[in-house]
Amino acid sequence: MFIFKLLATLVKLNVQQELAYRVDAVINILVNLMWLGWELLSLSIIFSNTATLGGWGPGEMIALLGVFRLVNMLMAALIWPNTERFNTGVRDGSLDYVFLQPVNSLFMISFSRIIFWRVWDLVLATVLLVVGVNMSGVGASPYNVFSFLLLVTSGAAILYSLWIVLIAFTFWFTKFDNNVTILQALLDTGRYPAQVYPLWLRLIVTFVVPIAVATTVPLQALRGDLSGWQVLMFLGVSVVSVLVALRVWKAGVQRYSGASS
Amino acid sequence: MKAPYQVGQVPMPSNGERDLSASKTDTVVVEALSKTYQVPEREGGFAAAVRSFFIRRYRDVHAVQQVNFRIGSGEIVGFLGPNGAGKTTTLKMLSGLLYPSGGQTRVLGFTPWERKADFLRAITLVMGQRNRLSWDVPAADSLLLNQAIYRLSDADYQQTLAELDELLELGPILRKPVRNLSLGERMKCELAAGLLHRPQVLFLDEPTIGLDITAQARIRAFLKEYNRRTGATILLTSHYMADVTALCERIIIIHQGQLKYDGGLTDLSRQIAPVKLIGVALRDAAPADLSRYGVMVPNEPSLDGKQLLQVPADEVAAITARLLSDLPVQDLTIEDPPIEAVIEKAFHE
Amino acid sequence: MLRIYQRLWQVNWAEQWQYRANLLMYLLYWLVSPIVYLAVWTTVAKSQSSVNGLTANDFVTYYLTLLVVDTLTTDITIHVLAYKIQDGTLSAELLKPIHPILTSTLINNLAFKMLMLMVMIPVWLGLALLFQPDFGAVTPLSLLLAIPAVVLGMGISFLLGATMTCVAFWTTRVYAINEFYWAIIVLFAGKFVPLSLMPPVVQQLARFLPFQFFDYLPIQIILGRLPPDEILRSFGMGVVWFGLALALFLAVWRSGLKRFSAVGA
Repeated sequence: MFIFKLLATLVKLNVQQELAYRVDAVINILVNLMWLGWELLSLSIIFSNTATLGGWGPGEMIALLGVFRLVNMLMAALIWPNTERFNTGVRDGSLDYVFLQPVNSLFMISFSRIIFWRVWDLVLATVLLVVGVNMSGVGASPYNVFSFLLLVTSGAAILYSLWIVLIAFTFWFTKFDNNVTILQALLDTGRYPAQVYPLWLRLIVTFVVPIAVATTVPLQALRGDLSGWQVLMFLGVSVVSVLVALRVWKAGVQRYSGASS
Repeated sequence: MKAPYQVGQVPMPSNGERDLSASKTDTVVVEALSKTYQVPEREGGFAAAVRSFFIRRYRDVHAVQQVNFRIGSGEIVGFLGPNGAGKTTTLKMLSGLLYPSGGQTRVLGFTPWERKADFLRAITLVMGQRNRLSWDVPAADSLLLNQAIYRLSDADYQQTLAELDELLELGPILRKPVRNLSLGERMKCELAAGLLHRPQVLFLDEPTIGLDITAQARIRAFLKEYNRRTGATILLTSHYMADVTALCERIIIIHQGQLKYDGGLTDLSRQIAPVKLIGVALRDAAPADLSRYGVMVPNEPSLDGKQLLQVPADEVAAITARLLSDLPVQDLTIEDPPIEAVIEKAFHE
Repeated sequence: MLRIYQRLWQVNWAEQWQYRANLLMYLLYWLVSPIVYLAVWTTVAKSQSSVNGLTANDFVTYYLTLLVVDTLTTDITIHVLAYKIQDGTLSAELLKPIHPILTSTLINNLAFKMLMLMVMIPVWLGLALLFQPDFGAVTPLSLLLAIPAVVLGMGISFLLGATMTCVAFWTTRVYAINEFYWAIIVLFAGKFVPLSLMPPVVQQLARFLPFQFFDYLPIQIILGRLPPDEILRSFGMGVVWFGLALALFLAVWRSGLKRFSAVGA
């Protein structure tokens, strides 16, 4: 299909871009590993002082770190770079060209820039998940794994919808350069299970900027904590949020075409 | 509502080619097109700032008012007008970027703001001051992306690229990152990117702005040749009269959102400023006061000592005769006023 | 000379005020990590009454104090200087008859911190209401004693931060390299985990490194957890480190400028 071909071309072009800077790629991976080291060190310090954190053992925490890495990969590979591109486009007017192309504008805005080396995070995440699950000793049945994958996808979809709404705000408030800062800021909370946070923060990261829905919840599914109904509910929420986001985007584009000069 | 060609003092030329009666095959049809913005009113002072927090007062800006015109296939039409006249706004409405506030327009039979894929594939909009190309990436890569976006087959892509390469003299600049290109080179690449899909209608917004004279000339030559080869319809806005005189048989003047003139260049000068310039060089070379013959126009020294007199066109013969009999005239020329002056005058009607 | 600083202050303050919306966002971004760690450690502490001698309240006071101290010692030089070196706008500042970093950049830094502090006060009060810390251990004396520590922290952090930014004179990868520098700070400054909880080898090293001045030392002094002889010893070290940092910065700056002028903007 046309859209897949276009996506393939975008990936190819972005990879080409990055391959031109080999040293940067190496440095990026080194820095990435360094932060992983720090995260693991924090975890080991925590677990040298306690057996469980909010009811979660060390293995589960490592698995959570893996899920966090997945979410972080989505953010870093797609969302931050395309936000920057979008903001620049709004500022210098080149955003108009997106609307002149015979392709869905949201697609172009979401995928123009792909930071490919972040695929490395996918590798790391898988390793962390496998190690974590093994450590925790909780068996992962196929059903749990399936729910897990489903919920990771719906968590990502919810965050993606939030992103769309945040950047769409720029159509109404043009000087809103910091549109995604709140998303960036609260992303860090995904490293730890939502149960650890005081109620007010828990509410924020579940309902306002649903980081917890993308990290804690899928892991709960992996552990088998969630009933089938709950999984379906989260799935439903993600579908609704995507639909809402698309509507908001459409309204935003109409506003942009009505009011721009 | 007054029809646009009654506003101002310029009567429309009656020219069969630009018959305004309905023609279903016109490429671009614009009827009573209007665009009004609402701009918040903001006065200075603290009290006004507080007031504006509670009550937002808006003021209407009529960027485009009741504009009518039709453009046939293959025409090259120049849009002229001072800054803020509404040219860019009109082009944006024609290319589907803006919703009009009133009136309607059809381009190639499509309604632009529906942004149908077939419509978008048949047009292009190139804005001289805004870049389509990715900054860090070689232009060639952006072109490859366009190939994918417009679903061009490899054969079509290669052929069109080869033609554009030849016409624009692109050469090696396609492989340099866009960041490293000069303004002229960048504009050539922007045009190449915009024409890759062989659009039937080209909307060009100030394509030569900021370029040096050679680059401007090259782009003009390119557009003329492109139009000749492909029969594409071109609408371009510009500040540079040279663009207009080189390319456009027909110009449309927009001023303060209203269409002031739609016709040929020569017709324009004949109608707006039916004047001629008489260049007089006197035998003793001393500048004399010729103001009783006509309006003296300051001229550049390159006119080798000639003084310029602006006189009504229908009095040229009479005034020339008087000059020749009254004064020791060594040399005398009769010219049309420069097009810039004509258009300047048209702007201020 | 004083006049120059005065004027610079006026200009920079006005400038920072203009960008206050950005500041709010930056504040939000920067607040989250300490709050996350606060939540984590208090959860651990509550589940077993104390962690290595630290109670839940100890953690709450630590992190809330951290918010204030960190605002004062955090360094943002890289964000205001690196791009100037990279795109050449530094040249304009070099034409002035004053040292651009020790004057203009420094004042910019201070104005930013002052504004951050102002903006943070209501947020801090809100957080204090939410977390209910018991600041009983804080006395006027402990606050007074902390001032030199904070000043040393600010100075060293600024100078080292500026030195690290100077890497931009030699390579375009200044941001990546600074990530490593940042990791070192996180390890040895007690930004996310109080030093007393770090592995022993880290703690031993930290005693001789300047990074503890950025957060851990001032916090400990304010909370009255450092015996007087330790305080004196660390002040001595701080002064030494300040001198070293200053010397290092001046040397690197001079060398970097040579390269800057040689290579051109």
